[in-house]
Amino acid sequence: MKRALIGGIGNVLLGDDGVGPYVVRLLESLYTFAEGVEVADLGTPALDLTHQIVGLHALILVDSVASDGCPGTVVLYRKEDILRVMPAERLDPHSPALSECMMTAEMLGASPEHVLLVGIVGSCYEPGQPLSEAVRQSVGRAIDAILAELARLGFDSQKKLSPNAPGIWWVGDPASDSPSLI
Amino acid sequence: MAKRITIDPITRIEGHLRIDVEVENNAVSNAWASCTMWRGIEKILRGRDPRDAWLFTQRFCGVCTTVHAMASVRSVEDALKLEIPLNAQYIRNLILIAHALHDHIVHFYQLSALDWVDVLQIPKADPAATSKLAESLSPWTRNSRNELKAAQDRVNAVASSGQLGIFANGYWGHPAMRLSPEVNLLAFSHYVQALEYQRKALQVVGILGSKTPHIQNLNVGGVANAIDLDSPSALGMSQLEMIRTLLEEVVQFVQHVYFVDVCAVAAMYPEWFKIGSGVRNYLAVPDLPLDSRGSAYDLPGGYIRDGNLAGVKGFQTASDPIFRQSVSEDVMHAYYQGDKALHPWAGETEPAFTGWDGEQKYSWVKAPRFNGEPMQVGPLAQVLIGYAQGHPLTRKYTDMAIEKIAAIGGPRATPAALHSTLGRHAARAIRACMLAELAQKHLELLVENISKGDYTVHNHSVLPTHEVEGVGTHEAPRGTLSHWIVIKDQKIKNYQAVVPSTWNASPRDRAGAHGPYEASLLHTPLARPEEPLEVLRTVHSFDPCMACACHAFDPSGRKIGVAKIL
Repeated sequence: MKRALIGGIGNVLLGDDGVGPYVVRLLESLYTFAEGVEVADLGTPALDLTHQIVGLHALILVDSVASDGCPGTVVLYRKEDILRVMPAERLDPHSPALSECMMTAEMLGASPEHVLLVGIVGSCYEPGQPLSEAVRQSVGRAIDAILAELARLGFDSQKKLSPNAPGIWWVGDPASDSPSLI
Repeated sequence: MAKRITIDPITRIEGHLRIDVEVENNAVSNAWASCTMWRGIEKILRGRDPRDAWLFTQRFCGVCTTVHAMASVRSVEDALKLEIPLNAQYIRNLILIAHALHDHIVHFYQLSALDWVDVLQIPKADPAATSKLAESLSPWTRNSRNELKAAQDRVNAVASSGQLGIFANGYWGHPAMRLSPEVNLLAFSHYVQALEYQRKALQVVGILGSKTPHIQNLNVGGVANAIDLDSPSALGMSQLEMIRTLLEEVVQFVQHVYFVDVCAVAAMYPEWFKIGSGVRNYLAVPDLPLDSRGSAYDLPGGYIRDGNLAGVKGFQTASDPIFRQSVSEDVMHAYYQGDKALHPWAGETEPAFTGWDGEQKYSWVKAPRFNGEPMQVGPLAQVLIGYAQGHPLTRKYTDMAIEKIAAIGGPRATPAALHSTLGRHAARAIRACMLAELAQKHLELLVENISKGDYTVHNHSVLPTHEVEGVGTHEAPRGTLSHWIVIKDQKIKNYQAVVPSTWNASPRDRAGAHGPYEASLLHTPLARPEEPLEVLRTVHSFDPCMACACHAFDPSGRKIGVAKIL
């Protein structure tokens, strides 16, 4: 069976950096997917990301990106864009990031055949802040990009008739019991 | 005239380590360690329910999720004076050990081995000769000619593609690289195998914690694992068997590969037992509790001052009164307001960014101090403190390392030679062997306790309305981690995390005392200052990690870090 992973990357405690986990948790509350498709909030993985991606047919990642575009812009990248980034000086365990993990998977001869990085240009990375308005408004477009990629690769997805509550537990005021997604 | 070299790998929006050294006559004459991003995450916790804090703290960092979750629940349990059921202690211990084994393996192979191993020498190696050499070093079964040839082919494929890919950023051909092509090939083949075995360690964390990278099974008072010997979905015989099998494989790799490779590197680079010492004050907390009250531990803690092993002082418990009273954080050279060294319970985190100024403020890391002094933390601290107290397991593997290094043709090291760059690597391998043995012990303890019919995993607690304070500690892969909590009206009033890399990467304090990274770099000889491989060797030996991850991928790669000479 061909496997696909939809992974959200980012630190949920740091404003727009949490958009990756936010998108995938929302996605999994709204849709069901064909067998072989896994949806995961990966947090801020370092080298461990390698284990998640080796042997996959398709990898779809959602992450905040630093780019010249306006906040909220959705930018799509493919495997060759990611492999073009030089590996960092290995100073600490965070240094093996996305491009290094992809290169390691390449070296092992097991990197995913299809790779899509759905990048969302962020604006505010302050601790404890919710998503900025521009980034929140891009969430729907990011989900559309993921669904289009799945369809292109022949993986079915179906909108749920009654969506589950998304597990976005980190959003909301500590004083309030019912976090609001917006 | 001194030249200044900055190593600042900026590839994404993230708090990361920056190292500045001044070089005179091809040796380091001054050094600064700094963190480039604000860690103000603790403020998010104020006003929240203390029982939820661990969910947030395990998002501090993507590498050490588990350790921050554990220190957090322990801080609340300490504040509430809670006892933890035996099953929960063993399950937690197994998670912590498996995580640490994973982390130590990754650190040696993926993050530091290539400081000593020259990948571009590998195509010249003879796989048959390498296999023969390997046989003389270790009974490991995966050192066959075929396995080594396959590893060599991987390097050849990458090298012949014209792009070095994952190896693009090494100091290949540097005069400080001295291993033969065969030793380089052997180590690289283990680099590839390490990816497999560290994953197996992580699978143990996943089985017990329900999920990685973020475990789900903790709660204040114990764990949430359902124990049922006959159910395949609960923690029962089938899961325990799976854990046993995975651990056996990881233990073999640690003892027959990782430990041996570190001893071999030590034997072939003996001068590094004399480089990289620095701060000789050491601190470690006891960990791996053996009873519900936390009065006996499998890993000893305590402190050593000025390298005096005979004067070691032990800690009785993981939140020993001496530890509780003696920690403070100084912000004289850190980008924060205030000029007093504060105890973590009274800690403040109000930023005052000024830009890098080596004479004034230059880091986002505070300077933690123990009785006013900088302390080195990490596996070396724990091994020296255990050795000095005559801890049998520490002695067993330390003595074994000393013998093995000598047997491979290296010097006969003494525990005193461990105050060094190689000493930190050796101590981490020694600790990994200890943990490997303890992993199997704690699995047996768990099975035995369950077999007695004890299925308890959680003790209920009630939050008091009056103000209480607690400290939760964990002797993490990088050293002593402590979470300090103040609870009032059932909410978090203050929360401070004093992480291992804060101790080691600390800037100078008000007395001008260097932090451990800084002190360890002084006098390091550099063969080619423009390629400061020797600086990286020492910095990597600490296993640095700035626990403040904020990753935002920068696809342009325009801010690639380099050693920049000013």
